[in-house]
Amino acid sequence: MKRLNKLLFALAAAGAMLSGTSSMAEPFKVGVCYDLSKAYTFASPQISQAAMDLAKLINMKGGIGGEPVEVIVRDHGNEPQRGIECYSRLSREGVFVFDTLSTPVSLAILPRAMQDQRILMQSLVGRGDAVDGTVFEWVYPVGPTYWGQAANDIAYIKQVHNGDLSDVKIGFIYFDYPFGQEPIEILKTLAEKEGFELLLYPVQLPGTDQASAWSKVRRDNPDHMISWMLSGGHVVASKEMQRNRIPMDKYISVNWLNEVDIGNIGAEAATGLKRGTNVVGGQDVPLRLEMIRELYDKGEGSGPLKNTEDVFYNTGLAMYSIIFEAARKAAELEGLPITAQSYKAGLESLKDYDADGMMAPITVTAEDHGGGGKTRIEMWDGETWVPQTDWMAAYSDVVWDVVKESSSKYAQ
Amino acid sequence: MFYRLSGVYHTDYVSDSRIYGVPADRNMAAFCLIIGLAAPFIIPSLYLNSYMLPWLIWTAAALGLNLVTGWAGQLHLGYAAVMAVGAYSAIHAVRFGVPWEIALIIGGLAAAVIGSLFAFAALRVKGLYLALTTLAMQFIMDWVLTHSAAISGGSHASLQAPTLALLGQQITSDTGYYYVAFGWCLLVTIFMLNLKRTGLGRALVAVREKDYAAAILGVNSFYYKILAFATSSFIAGVSGALLVATFFFLAAPEQFSVNVSIQVLAMVIVGGLSSIIGSYFGVALILLVPGLVNSAVASISQGLGVQIGVETLAHIPNAIYGALIVIILLIEPLGLGKLYGNVRDYLMVWPFDQIRK
Repeated sequence: MKRLNKLLFALAAAGAMLSGTSSMAEPFKVGVCYDLSKAYTFASPQISQAAMDLAKLINMKGGIGGEPVEVIVRDHGNEPQRGIECYSRLSREGVFVFDTLSTPVSLAILPRAMQDQRILMQSLVGRGDAVDGTVFEWVYPVGPTYWGQAANDIAYIKQVHNGDLSDVKIGFIYFDYPFGQEPIEILKTLAEKEGFELLLYPVQLPGTDQASAWSKVRRDNPDHMISWMLSGGHVVASKEMQRNRIPMDKYISVNWLNEVDIGNIGAEAATGLKRGTNVVGGQDVPLRLEMIRELYDKGEGSGPLKNTEDVFYNTGLAMYSIIFEAARKAAELEGLPITAQSYKAGLESLKDYDADGMMAPITVTAEDHGGGGKTRIEMWDGETWVPQTDWMAAYSDVVWDVVKESSSKYAQ
Repeated sequence: MFYRLSGVYHTDYVSDSRIYGVPADRNMAAFCLIIGLAAPFIIPSLYLNSYMLPWLIWTAAALGLNLVTGWAGQLHLGYAAVMAVGAYSAIHAVRFGVPWEIALIIGGLAAAVIGSLFAFAALRVKGLYLALTTLAMQFIMDWVLTHSAAISGGSHASLQAPTLALLGQQITSDTGYYYVAFGWCLLVTIFMLNLKRTGLGRALVAVREKDYAAAILGVNSFYYKILAFATSSFIAGVSGALLVATFFFLAAPEQFSVNVSIQVLAMVIVGGLSSIIGSYFGVALILLVPGLVNSAVASISQGLGVQIGVETLAHIPNAIYGALIVIILLIEPLGLGKLYGNVRDYLMVWPFDQIRK
């Protein structure tokens, strides 16, 4: 009898230990369903590498509330069907925070995330009106929308012209599909409001032939060119600009332009080129330097060092700093384990958070899931990025009109 | 042994024109039907929802393309565009207040009208020229979808589908969606199985083999080509609408872009032209294998503890998948359906054929 008691006690103790360890080792997981093999490969390797580095760094420092963090990176090849599969698989493994870095996949997952009450982070991709937290309760496009970015570009141009845009011509060159078309509406609204002349130059995908657009630009001679193109498109544009003798400093790009593109244009030739951005460009950013010190110098980086010398790496660090900071807040506010509900509360308690000078400060609220949408303009000086303005979110009333009008269609 | 036959010997026309020439085939079909019906209870919901369901809907769509490409012999590179017509018209119809049952038929009819309208223009040319004309339809549809907010639904061109409701019943569960997909796929399969027994099916095959020889036999090849386009477009339209209603829950142009058209064509070709079971196999290979190989490679590298970069990890499955298609087409150019047929024929009278040798 005594022996049996002992055995039972040992079993119970073992059971308690087992269950204890399993709940302790349960990490906070982020489902990183990315396109690592098709259309988004110009940015996805750097961003996913940043995500994995950041998770490593946080675990080295003891995790969040004593629990480790984990990023699960999977490829979906930019196919909605595979993105949904990735989402379904990981959500059954207990993941409730997802990031897709792909507009088609983000669109495809959105209805499911809303239904299942899981957090869909979609910084810089997906539908812009999802910043409206009253409609899209579970979707967090933290960062600027394309509408906000375009408005900020106009605000910068207004600064350059001393607050008077009445006889300024602004050209808008864009990939002629939803990504590029999105800012048109807000640009038209602002053209009416500020009295500048807006000229539109659509470019057919994949953007390798822009000859006709740029010779039209030469004829019209606008004062500034706002460009909504991706990676290779910028390189072709710069060649055409040189051919047409259009100075490089007229060019203001969307945030999707990185050091690889600068290298392809030629560091010297790209001097004067501008870019709207929500993260600090260049390599001297505290968080990145810490990564180099703690991981790469010890040979423990999650990928090649070259990938870290890229603004998309900074973008990745910014995106995942937000994701992990929200988890930390959630653990602070409502304790462990973190649930989708408490994580949501964590996100919405982020206030003026800038990840140690990594990005524009963001303040996420239940109404504004974009965190304020601040960006600034940086200029390439031949060697590095030089900020031209402070962080700003201009014309937010106009931007929110567009957001509300669009999100109300979803709510129907 | 397996088929309990010593050979196939028909003694009358009725037995020759049966759907299943061999009882074992019929039994297998019945077995698959039972598995299909029981799937929600025996297959984990992850596989039901993200593998079985898209597989069945795409199979229905691929069978539609097989009708026009496999049976009627007309290369079609704009099939996804036709699916888009069906999906968008059905969703708009439902948002307008039409019940889903009728909206699905509206979607199918709209697709049939647009598909055969295009065929009218396209069928004045043949072969590669026809293929290019259908490709033009795809590009026109892409352009229309990305440039008309009224159709595509505004922000980032995505249109929310209302909740599916059939026969007065709201469908919201995984099981419900599965049965809708299963039912539609079954319907299309039964139609296709019977097609080859009808005059229409024989006329289509005659047109495929040589259209003016068919004309000499009194088969109006233009009429039958149009009919093939219209029928396949109808199937495409309903499949597109169901794909959005049960799987994507919203329609976006990327879901029906030109590479999707190529993918459906690949499904049909890898599966086997004018093979029904081949379409099932082809869709499984093109649609599901990338995801399966992906997670297999991920778990193998995890299990072995090998540190592979995420990017390399993402490209290995693509290489495997590409190699798989090449190898299959090298072994059997007529596709997976024929591969299955070879095995079946070999086993049909085994081991008695061995004795004869």
